[in-house]
Amino acid sequence: MRIARYVPYLVGAAVAATFPLFSGAYLEQVAGATLIYLTLALSWDMLLRSGQLGFGTAGFFGLGSYAAVLLFLNVGVQPFVSIIFGGIVAGVVALLLGLAVLRLRGMYFAITTLALAGIFAVVLRNFPSLTGGAEGKMLPSCIFSGDTANVYWLILVVAVMTIVISEVFERTRIHVALTSIRNDERVAKSSGVNVFKYLVFVFAVTSAIQGIAGGVYAHVFGFVSPEGSFSANFLLLPLAMALLGGIHSTWGPVIGALVLGALSEYLKLQIPYGHLLVYGAIIVVVILFLPQGLSGAARAWRGRSHAARGAR
Amino acid sequence: MSLKGKRMGLRVWALAILVVVGVGLFVAADEGTIKLGAILPLGDITGAQASKAMQLAVAEINAAGGVLGRQLELFIVDDESKPDKGAAAVDLLATVDNVDVFIGGMSSGVHLGELPALKKYEKVTVWIGAASSLVEQAAVGLDWYFHIHPWDYLQGASYVQGWADLQTQYPLIKISKVFWAYEDGAFGTSSFQGSLVAFSNWLNSGEPFKSALLGGGDYRSVLRHAMDYDPDMFVWVGYAADALPMMEQAAEIGFTPPLFVGSPPGWPADFGTSPLAEGVISYGMWAPSIKDVSPVSQHFWDAYIAKFSEQPATYFAPLGYTNVYVVAEAIQRAGTLEKQALITALEATNYASPLGETLTFTPSKLIAHQGFRNQKILQWQDGQQQVIWPFAYATALPRYPFTGK
Repeated sequence: MRIARYVPYLVGAAVAATFPLFSGAYLEQVAGATLIYLTLALSWDMLLRSGQLGFGTAGFFGLGSYAAVLLFLNVGVQPFVSIIFGGIVAGVVALLLGLAVLRLRGMYFAITTLALAGIFAVVLRNFPSLTGGAEGKMLPSCIFSGDTANVYWLILVVAVMTIVISEVFERTRIHVALTSIRNDERVAKSSGVNVFKYLVFVFAVTSAIQGIAGGVYAHVFGFVSPEGSFSANFLLLPLAMALLGGIHSTWGPVIGALVLGALSEYLKLQIPYGHLLVYGAIIVVVILFLPQGLSGAARAWRGRSHAARGAR
Repeated sequence: MSLKGKRMGLRVWALAILVVVGVGLFVAADEGTIKLGAILPLGDITGAQASKAMQLAVAEINAAGGVLGRQLELFIVDDESKPDKGAAAVDLLATVDNVDVFIGGMSSGVHLGELPALKKYEKVTVWIGAASSLVEQAAVGLDWYFHIHPWDYLQGASYVQGWADLQTQYPLIKISKVFWAYEDGAFGTSSFQGSLVAFSNWLNSGEPFKSALLGGGDYRSVLRHAMDYDPDMFVWVGYAADALPMMEQAAEIGFTPPLFVGSPPGWPADFGTSPLAEGVISYGMWAPSIKDVSPVSQHFWDAYIAKFSEQPATYFAPLGYTNVYVVAEAIQRAGTLEKQALITALEATNYASPLGETLTFTPSKLIAHQGFRNQKILQWQDGQQQVIWPFAYATALPRYPFTGK
């Protein structure tokens, strides 16, 4: 039954698209923030599929935020144009940096990319006349005047776009190339895979996505600041979401983001003073006992049930 | 219809009646309370203690008969120090809990994210945190917005005034040359830059350091440069984690400037127990010693400890208490929750707060309703933080010079 396979996706898409029609401003706000983190989690995972552990998510997110806000304030373009510009700036900077840092591997690459957020923040803080310095910059008004339904749909478009790009990565020769690089770089090279070209390409694309997410976030909340825009939250939370959902796939980070996004809000309302402890404990327990994440556990369970049915 | 069917029908009717009566009672109870929605970072001591102080104030007011004969109901939501969580909290409180007034607040970065959501609902908002002047710019023209904490530039101005007054009152204290050691993040950098403007009549020099909070903790080179500079006053701007190692390393190299000032947002709870704390000067809106000169502060101190079995350790505790009382008294004066009447009543606020000062709202540079304007200059003396300026709230004379012993 080929059609039956697509039913969950169609139902999910229908629920996501019509969500503001049956939810209120609060749930739209929570869902919008969750989708931003989902976008970051998925883009982080897309680079991880090449075996490169990148920690530059917060750096490119912040860079995209600043680029979008500064273009909007200084040139007066449409918010959408400035958001795309934020993505382009993040992508181009990643491309140029990638030419150097993608010569590194393993922990060396991870630590170098981890430093990017700090470096970008210091640079931006030291041009106060342009960037507002340590205080940052504020927009005169937020996108859609803060209308949460429209904001939700905008973020949904960005998230869906990321899912589509991730699926393209999964279903084309890019997937084969990245998987072979991850498994054994020398074998990939000897098979004719241009390792460096693929790594630079994926690094630039995922950074551009993170820049777009940053631009959207800045326009939704109406400000940028070195501390806020380059916050470690934009690295650690997406990372936890991808690990919880399951890495090296599209749907793992998506599931992880949706589960953690909903869980964190639910726990906050149930346990106002201790929810972060419980939330952290749940992440630790799931990652300890389900190392393949929720999607990996679901796949294993499905495999076992198919095998049991086959045995019968 | 069979007997079984009739019974089933009766049960359905009974259930329906119960539901209708229940909902009716719920709605009636719901209309009976005045709802305050507080947004605070509950994982941080500032937000946790402010929220407890708010609960204390609500309990006291309700025990005394409530406001306009109605009980206060407090809804507290954690903003997790994230702008998106703060904005979601505003939407939750406005659309699900239907609060009448927004209160709370701590971080400026979070509040900038909350303001667009607050502007949608335009409910009366009385905010105790968010000192950045960027927030003031975002709040221009909001007649329903009341801000209690002094803006950053007001704090700077009050330090200028404070040091001028101290030098006049105590001629032994002379300041013309100052060294600023500041953490290299946004907090330290912006404080240093602001101080250069505020204290432009002094000879200033400065150097950044890596805060212990962010993986640093070695201040020896900065301290040695400061010692070579031989300042009248040494000021460090960092976090609580820097306080003790800073003092230990200064003692290690024998650096004892006449005035040793620390300016973290909060001090380690046990800082006063260290002999190195003696004579160190700090800034703040409140110190426990204010209870010795303010009966309101004494009452707050005793009631807080009695209710929570812990001491209030941050000025956000008395600020949270003040927040609830100011709103409750304004509602009482207004006689209604109608927005314009409540704004007018808040404008008439004259509340003797546990912070020592009486709170009133007057215009600041950009907004119409600014509360407190001054910080206080404090000094660690015999393990306690004492107020040395403003003189009206002083709890001790300044000890000068700093000896490092």
